[in-house]
Amino acid sequence: MSVALLILIFTPLMAGLLSLVMRNQRALERLQCLLAVVLWGAMTLVVSRVASGSYFSTGFLLRVDPLSAFMDLMLAFVGGTGLLYAVGYMGEKLIRGEMTLKHYGRFFFFFNFFLFAMLLTVNLDNIALMWISLESSTLAAALLVGFERTKSALEAGWKYVILSFIGIALSLFGTVLMYYASERVLGIGMEALSLEALYRVASLLNPAALKLAFIFALIGYGTKAGVVPMHTWLPDAHAEAPTPVSAILSGLMLNVGLYALLRFKSITDQALGESFAGPLVLGFGFLSLTVAAFFMLIQKDYKRLLAYSSIEHVGIAMIGFGVGGPLGVFGGFFHMIHHALVKSTAFYAAGGVLLRSGHKGIERVTGMLKRFPIAGIGLFLAAIGLAGMPPAGLFVSELLIATSSYRGNPVLTYLFLSLLILTFGALMYHIPRMVLGNTTEKDMPMSDRTRYFMTAAILINLAAMVYGGFYLPRFLQALTVPMTGIFGARIEFR
Amino acid sequence: MAHSDIGSQLVNICSMLLLVTTFAIVSQRRLSACVDLFALQSVFLAVTAALVAFLTGIHHIYVAALLTIVIKAIIIPLILKRVIERLNVTRELVLNINIPASLLICGGLVILALSVTQPIKELGFLLTKDSLAISLAIILIGFFTMISRRKAVTQVVGFLVVENGIFLGATAAAYGMPLIVELGVFFDVLVAALIIGIFTHRLQDTFDSVDVSKLTGMKE
Amino acid sequence: MIESAVIQLLQAVVVLVVSPFVIGLIRKVKAWLQCRQGPVLLQPYYDLAKLFQKEVVASSSTSWIFTATPYILFSSTLTASLLVPTFLSQVPLNFAGDIITVVYLLALGTFFLMLAGLDAGSAFGGMGSSREAIVAALTEPAMILSIFAVGLTAGSTNLSTIVHKMALSHGIMSDPPPHLLALAALFIVTLAETGRVPVDNPATHLELTMIHEAMILEYSGRYLALIEWAAALKLLLFLTLLSNIFFPWGIATVMTPFGMAVGTGVWFLKVSGLAVLISLIESMFAKLRLFRITELLGVAFILSLLSLVFYYILRVQS
Repeated sequence: MSVALLILIFTPLMAGLLSLVMRNQRALERLQCLLAVVLWGAMTLVVSRVASGSYFSTGFLLRVDPLSAFMDLMLAFVGGTGLLYAVGYMGEKLIRGEMTLKHYGRFFFFFNFFLFAMLLTVNLDNIALMWISLESSTLAAALLVGFERTKSALEAGWKYVILSFIGIALSLFGTVLMYYASERVLGIGMEALSLEALYRVASLLNPAALKLAFIFALIGYGTKAGVVPMHTWLPDAHAEAPTPVSAILSGLMLNVGLYALLRFKSITDQALGESFAGPLVLGFGFLSLTVAAFFMLIQKDYKRLLAYSSIEHVGIAMIGFGVGGPLGVFGGFFHMIHHALVKSTAFYAAGGVLLRSGHKGIERVTGMLKRFPIAGIGLFLAAIGLAGMPPAGLFVSELLIATSSYRGNPVLTYLFLSLLILTFGALMYHIPRMVLGNTTEKDMPMSDRTRYFMTAAILINLAAMVYGGFYLPRFLQALTVPMTGIFGARIEFR
Repeated sequence: MAHSDIGSQLVNICSMLLLVTTFAIVSQRRLSACVDLFALQSVFLAVTAALVAFLTGIHHIYVAALLTIVIKAIIIPLILKRVIERLNVTRELVLNINIPASLLICGGLVILALSVTQPIKELGFLLTKDSLAISLAIILIGFFTMISRRKAVTQVVGFLVVENGIFLGATAAAYGMPLIVELGVFFDVLVAALIIGIFTHRLQDTFDSVDVSKLTGMKE
Repeated sequence: MIESAVIQLLQAVVVLVVSPFVIGLIRKVKAWLQCRQGPVLLQPYYDLAKLFQKEVVASSSTSWIFTATPYILFSSTLTASLLVPTFLSQVPLNFAGDIITVVYLLALGTFFLMLAGLDAGSAFGGMGSSREAIVAALTEPAMILSIFAVGLTAGSTNLSTIVHKMALSHGIMSDPPPHLLALAALFIVTLAETGRVPVDNPATHLELTMIHEAMILEYSGRYLALIEWAAALKLLLFLTLLSNIFFPWGIATVMTPFGMAVGTGVWFLKVSGLAVLISLIESMFAKLRLFRITELLGVAFILSLLSLVFYYILRVQS
């Protein structure tokens, strides 16, 4: 079974290296599709194994617990559709002559490496190695953001590099502080950085050092997760990156940042209870939600609109974790995975719009339903989901978070709901205008293969979104119970 | 004075030298001098690490010290110098905040770092009690340098100073992270410096400038 | 009693004799570094001897200040030097004043020098005086604070007590974080107060840059000799402070002839070492532009302030 884990993590790396040397478009694209299938298969094995109650590790560095399996599920699923989509989207750019075959291969190298680094991050048992792996994913992401080498892409890339390096350095100091606290208890060596050992001895760690470590990790990994006020890189990076990269950044990387933050939070919670980290996370969550909600109203670029919506949803998930309690934590996790699905769908569709119309202005795009039906439908359904309406699971998770926050402080709930209404308004004002109506704009030509790949990616995501919105699969239930358990808030399903 | 006591004061002296060079970097206007000072700081860092390794008998810290010399005192300064030469950037730095004011702010940051680490100081090893405070001070000043300077290369120097601060914290305060971790961190820092170098080149080619204040296309 | 007086007298003789040598050493090492032969080490003595024999020329527009300044400057600097321990950690005269006295004795000399610069009414003199005022105003707080930082560890502001305690413990090693900052600050102060590069260049009379030389431009003959000697004494005083406060190893802590002989030798070596360091710095760095000097002195001030902060936060609270 640990073989499945190794395959899950290391196939993207192999595929990436292969794509670097391949000089044949067909073979390169087949490789990516194969990688997507392998990811889904290996993920299914790993998740089903963990869901049946047995955590496992390969040696001492890799270890899968339910939270890791949950992240694997998210990363492999969305990563797979992202690969299909990237083949469609970047292939179209290649056909249009906007990039060379050499750059095409290099793109997939970075893209696969990015996936590899994220998958490695969530399966490592060691918080320092987790940091290293996350930093590598940042490096790959920085190159991907600046991939198109336009002025604005470079600017966005530079901003991303500087801000995320600041963030990542802070989280490294947080990690050092955690080690500083834990080596008192566990002794000098690798064990003092192991998550398993840290959970075991959490209550023995020095509270002051732990608090300081958590604050640094909150700010540092919060930067990766796009939490306000460290979010300034996010809209630029999402708007300027090639669309498949935006989808992965938004759907997956923010969640991986959040994952690292949650690991620190869970250790802190076990040692100090929820009363220390909870309010901090809650505060940053509300700040993100508020700022994003207002900025969403004034956006003129649909990719930026979706980017601010990502900040909003990370904020909502953080509110869930900050409020705490079984419902809140469960709502937070549920929100994370559904946001990954819905937001990547939204970006896939937005990429279709971009390929069709050739620009990113909200005002000038109309009639997408006629011009590129699958992109139109995908964008519309995803917007409904992002606005917090069924059939997407975000409706359920937002309801759960609102419910659990009501018990603590009703004022927070009212504030939360009114901000949600604001974002609902922003999305429902902008998106239907893009999808419906007629247009006088000239369509850019698009090849059939691109259409097929995009349709496949969007449909798979939509199917998962609708399925997950109505039904909580048994394996997800099985994962969730111990996942909420590490925050000291064990949820029960009856 | 016992053996370890002298050792602890030696470690303290070295970590203080790092802080003093950080101040020198803040007060320095010439770009190449900033890079030189960073190299000097890395040498002090390596000496600190070697001292800690010698005093504690934890041998893998020697490896870290050696890597510090090779990567941070030689390779990265060389890369930066080449970037500076190639870009032909003017030698005087452009500052957002003038030097006396930045110095005062940095003084404030040191005080902040000292008071923040005060409650957890007793947790440290006897040998290196003050190092955590000093390393946090260096980290904060490094961030401040990144914010207060406009040239891309100085932002990089700021980032590297931050890295040095963290490494000092890891080595002196926590007796070094496990070797595999340190190797990983070094590798990442090296790649990060390379990537920043690549970006500076591209910025230069596209904007004909590495003045970050020209990057104002996206404001909201 | 007599013993104390003899020792004090001995110290006066020693500093008076050694101070021109330090100047000569700096010049010689600088010359070597520039691949020149340079003047002989004893050249400053010859200069002083010659100047003492020369006639004094004073401008008719000058007042008594011009005449009195060389004597005031020389005597105040010499008095200050007597309060600073050189070869013996506890100076017999230590009852007479502490670090604040030393600082203000030096300031008294500087003050009169500035007045004398203005007195002759020449353009350069006034310029030099105003610049010196800037430098002096900025260095003084940094100097006092940096010595206070060490004084806190020793528990006294009396220089003799500070040096004695430092010599009995471990100098800079007894508490490195504050002391190292104080050392860096005091070193910058030394460069500024004694008019060395990068603050001032003692070797040039270029009107745009000079500070110290501009003030004494009007002086000649034995007045000039006294002023030059006082400047040398001041330099020696600062080097002594640096070496004895931070590196007090070897200084005599009890009044034995042997200890004092060793103390004198060690002190001489330390001071010469610092002089070589200064000449290295003078060869490596260019003089700063006038408005950048404030930045350098700002660094000194912040460093000395931080050394106090370090002492209070790290030592007192815990």
